[in-house]
Amino acid sequence: MSETLPLAEVTLTIPSRPEYVGVARLAILGVASRMRFSYDEVEDIRLAVGEACTNAIDRLNGSGATERPISLTCTIDANRLMIEARSPLASTPPRPRSTEEADLDNLMEGKELSGVLIRILMDEVESEEDASAGIHLLRMVKYVAR
Amino acid sequence: MNLRVETQNPREGVAVIALGGEVDVYTSPRVKQEIVNLLNAGTPKMVVDLTGVEYLDSTGLGVLIGGLKRARERDGDLKLVCDNTRILRIFEITGLTKIFDIYRSSADALDKL
Repeated sequence: MSETLPLAEVTLTIPSRPEYVGVARLAILGVASRMRFSYDEVEDIRLAVGEACTNAIDRLNGSGATERPISLTCTIDANRLMIEARSPLASTPPRPRSTEEADLDNLMEGKELSGVLIRILMDEVESEEDASAGIHLLRMVKYVAR
Repeated sequence: MNLRVETQNPREGVAVIALGGEVDVYTSPRVKQEIVNLLNAGTPKMVVDLTGVEYLDSTGLGVLIGGLKRARERDGDLKLVCDNTRILRIFEITGLTKIFDIYRSSADALDKL
């Protein structure tokens, strides 16, 4: 039995830097707007993709892997949008932060909230790491309401 | 940088920070710095007006949570103003409406400080 081919696929690659997360959000806004999602659903997808990129950048912070890009692959089907965010695994442990710095940034709250938001905003979320390829994959799916 | 920050001191020890544009991983350090500067300058009571904010992510939420914690450590407080349903929804789905006092106008928030 052959698998159904997607209607279209859009791929975007951005540097692993905060100033480019807005570019990813704009691109996904364009993709999701072409599908039969409501305004609120498009905004949910935009926020989830922003969080996915932010997560990746946070994870890479100080690890020395920020020169490698984040890749977003959007697979568009009639009834769903699948977004796969691939980011480099940290090659070295992230730079340790001082207690004061961690307190100032309140990183824990932000990171925890990011995961909560993605899981609430998208219909399916799964993540995996491919250590041999040095890639972290976050797969998110949003279904078009029938 | 698509972020606007305007701060006013309507009375001594009290500040209103009006934000506009996008508060995300790129711009939220600017917001954090503004809050820290106010706290260090002896302004522990503040209102953060999100009326002009079009986008807010978890990094921005983290900065606001940090600001609230630090303000309360100094016997102050941080109250929010927001009437944008999209932004309010982010506070609701993350459960942060239980932590923050959110008002419809700066005048209402200032009355409660």
